[in-house]
Amino acid sequence: MRKLQKVLALLLIIALAASLTACGGGKKSDTINIGAIYNVTGGQASLDKPSLNGFKLAAKEINENGGIKGKKINVVSYDGKTDQATVANSTKKMIDVDKCVVVAGLSDSNYALAAGNICQEKGIPFITSGATLPTLPDQVGEFAFLAPFGDNIQAYACADFAINDLGLKKCYLLIDQSMEFTKTLAHFFQERYIANGGEIVLTDNYMNKDPDFSAQIDRFLASNSGAEIIFISGVPDDAGVVVKQFRDKGVTLPIISGDGFDTPLLIEVAGAAADNTYVGTHASLENQDPKVQQFIEAYKKEYGTAPENAFAGLGYDTMYLIADALNRATDINNPKAIRDAIAATQNLAGVTGTVTYKDGSRVPVKSVTINKVENGKFVFIKEVLPE
Amino acid sequence: MDGFIYFLIQSVNGLKLGSVYAIVAVGYSMVYGILRLINFAHGDIMTVGVYTILVLMTAFGVPLWVTVLLSVVIAIAVGLATERIAYRPLRTAGEEATLISSLAVSIFMQNLIMMIFSPQRRAFHLPEYLSRLHTIGFIKLSTMNIITFAAVFIILIVLSLVIKKTRIGMAMRACSDNLNASKLMGININAVIVTAFAIGSGLAALSGLMLAGEYKTIDPLMGFVPGLKAFCAAVLGGIGSLSGAVLGGFILGIAEMLFAGLMPTDFTAYRDAFVFVLLILVLLVRPYGILGSKEGGRS
Amino acid sequence: MRLRDSNLFRFIIFVLIPLIVIIICGFSSGSYYAGLVNLFGINVILVASLNLVNGFSGMFSMGHAAFMAIGAYAAAILTLPANQKLISMPGLPEWLIYMRLPYPVALIIGGILAAFVALLIGFPVLRFKGHYLSVATIGLIVIVRAVLDNEDELTNGARGVTGLPNYASTWTIFGAAVICLFILYRLIRSSYGRGLTAMRDDYVAAQTIGINLTTKKISAFCISAFMAGVAGGLWGHMQSVISGKFFYIDASFKIVETSIIGGMSSLSGAVVGSLLMTFIPELLAPLETGIEVFGIRLPELYGASNLIMAALLIVIIIFRRQGIMGYSEIITESLFSAKTYSSVLKKSEYKKLCDIVAHKIKELSSRVKSKGA
Repeated sequence: MRKLQKVLALLLIIALAASLTACGGGKKSDTINIGAIYNVTGGQASLDKPSLNGFKLAAKEINENGGIKGKKINVVSYDGKTDQATVANSTKKMIDVDKCVVVAGLSDSNYALAAGNICQEKGIPFITSGATLPTLPDQVGEFAFLAPFGDNIQAYACADFAINDLGLKKCYLLIDQSMEFTKTLAHFFQERYIANGGEIVLTDNYMNKDPDFSAQIDRFLASNSGAEIIFISGVPDDAGVVVKQFRDKGVTLPIISGDGFDTPLLIEVAGAAADNTYVGTHASLENQDPKVQQFIEAYKKEYGTAPENAFAGLGYDTMYLIADALNRATDINNPKAIRDAIAATQNLAGVTGTVTYKDGSRVPVKSVTINKVENGKFVFIKEVLPE
Repeated sequence: MDGFIYFLIQSVNGLKLGSVYAIVAVGYSMVYGILRLINFAHGDIMTVGVYTILVLMTAFGVPLWVTVLLSVVIAIAVGLATERIAYRPLRTAGEEATLISSLAVSIFMQNLIMMIFSPQRRAFHLPEYLSRLHTIGFIKLSTMNIITFAAVFIILIVLSLVIKKTRIGMAMRACSDNLNASKLMGININAVIVTAFAIGSGLAALSGLMLAGEYKTIDPLMGFVPGLKAFCAAVLGGIGSLSGAVLGGFILGIAEMLFAGLMPTDFTAYRDAFVFVLLILVLLVRPYGILGSKEGGRS
Repeated sequence: MRLRDSNLFRFIIFVLIPLIVIIICGFSSGSYYAGLVNLFGINVILVASLNLVNGFSGMFSMGHAAFMAIGAYAAAILTLPANQKLISMPGLPEWLIYMRLPYPVALIIGGILAAFVALLIGFPVLRFKGHYLSVATIGLIVIVRAVLDNEDELTNGARGVTGLPNYASTWTIFGAAVICLFILYRLIRSSYGRGLTAMRDDYVAAQTIGINLTTKKISAFCISAFMAGVAGGLWGHMQSVISGKFFYIDASFKIVETSIIGGMSSLSGAVVGSLLMTFIPELLAPLETGIEVFGIRLPELYGASNLIMAALLIVIIIFRRQGIMGYSEIITESLFSAKTYSSVLKKSEYKKLCDIVAHKIKELSSRVKSKGA
């Protein structure tokens, strides 16, 4: 028993010492500490890990190009562990202990709201790189920003595209009920689709992590609803599985979805079956824009794989968004000044589109890219900027 | 007639899902029946097996049957290692102690796999001859579906024979009835438990193959939900009864699919909740599970 | 003589130091350290109340998160302003939309609702023994989550409820924690509690001496659920955001782990377990982010703290299967006995403590000397 106590005590001491050295490392005056709170383990990891990778890659590039006003960026990142209390505490730690002047991160609105509220309370700017709830900044307050477009924009773009470009006016809607993002997306899609004169002929639901969609698909087949297009509001993890199962059951209708389907998994899993799928998303990794290709190359070089999904690009852009604001800020030690600088961002081109915060809104005006899968490849179709 | 065909189609969907649950549940039940251990790590051993297959297939291009064999071997090794490290020192402790130990093993394995392979979900493809679709009337089945379905019964029959006819099987039954008395009677309970863990872990690897083959994706957390469902199936069917575990698996699968297929669409997202309501209701009528007996439910 | 026998020592360790920490945190609310301490306080309530069921009554519930969720949502609905509820939860009955209650009342109502659900589920489920109850309570979590995620009109669905006012101050949390601990402590020491432990230790014997097991089981389950509901209400108002996924199986497992690590059959175990499980992961977190040790930058190892935590759990449970505190009640005994407090005023206590410390030092130095020789 004694031995155990000793081992435990030793472990604790090591950990304590480690945390102290870590604190000490962050207090150099020639660096700017920027917090990156991501759920790198647990259920959110598949979205948040690429985001963090992108974020760090951008910070590295900025530092190699001389940093900001002669100072290096130091990314302070803790793992939120897909646990809300850990997310909240880590955010507090970044601000209180590590003295971060900006905090960014998270891809799920529930977690982002928790972190955002803390930043708002402490008067530190918070930018979510991946959460797309359009009302998030208003719910939190003046210090919260969205780096991506809001769900409403991508849902509107998809609805407009389905009706105006494809001319398909009867839609079957399949919604993941367990996620905030998928629910909001479906809500806005339905609203716009009906407003444009479309008709939702059947709505069905599933919960995240149900791998089997056959019950829903057979119900759809049996309903003879006359649907001309299928809108699936889902997350990257499910993208390939659900499309594959639809095709296996003989459904050849076009399928459309939001940025949740912007993942290589769609094609890797579904293979040829992924054809005739439309994805409304932030950017196309097939985009020949040198900026995008450069990012993909850099990412490959740093992490050994291509960007896993659109969230990598969002993390990358978020860091550049912060850097841009820091360069313009009157005082990089004053969070209020940084906030004002972020709010004044104009035409900042990134890999996921161009960011402008317009008329005091803290949700950027960003265009939506519509991609289509053709012959096992994402093909750029058009860029839409719905009003 | 249309309604009837629709019902049939959904039932077949249920059988497909149920056969995957059943095969996980049989492996689960092997260990559970003897140790009364809610082995939360069972699903993660499955994950280990699947990742082994993925690595061997994609990186080394080994043929499928070899990878399956190797993955079973590795899963057994991992299973036995966890037994030795985390469960054996706790054999005389209460059920809670082993439960927490298995939870910790599960967390450990999930995080280790996540650190090694990244948390990303990955595509998992079986060779074409296994994923080919066959159309039988109005029903579509892949070769893998048929193999899974058959495998459930083959495994059930083989294991039942082992348990009924062999010496180690007899020892297993004795341990399942009363571990301490078996020990007093001179049964080498370590051997029995190791055998059970080996069979359970090997089956976990096989069931992982079937699960991943069916849904074509794998991720480090993929084992958790099937593990939980297998536990439910084992409890539903009756603790320690292999045919009960299979029956429980099929009932869960069919119930899920019929619920999602027949209820108004507003309720389809209540699928998992329904499974548990059903479980509670069945336990109210049959407190020891469908095929369980009072003696089987050691207290 | 041992240090723990000194009432004054107990006072310092178990009353004075915690009190100072709480007061400091109470005045620096919102800071990182205060946040951790608050979380610890809530964990104490959760784990201690779970111990009443799992440790003292011999049932094994794994569904604490479900009761937390009920308490958190109830407290949120009762404290949010009407205009917010009209937007996010329009399906609520009108009287509920316009009702706003003081926070403590809302907490208690949340607890009562949780207890009510426990009563409903308890009648059928508590007949089960052992693992059947575990499955059924896990099922309860799944069911509660499904309702929270899907009943958009009542709960705002998976979008969760946001903007909860920050009512859960350190004072409220620790006030509630001490009250809960006190109630549990008294309960366990009463004839009721002895009945519970009798039931745990020998089911049949307890029955034969006339203990009504059904009412005992259900009442313990309900009390436990009530406290979990209150803790949920505190948790929600501390975090300001609640959503079904925060109260899922993994959250519940964490409470069970904490309970077993600290010692299920001890309220003091709840305190020690919460202390470890709240603070150790925080201490390990820097290990993951690639810290500098002696000038060498270690690689990033996200997940390492989870690995270490899991390994630690296994080690602790192997070496102390009854949990760290076992059956000892030293913390609660010190907290709730008058002797601890009166010792501050007694001269003899100071002398005794000095003696013990002097003795300890002498012992230590002689040991060092003998080693040196």
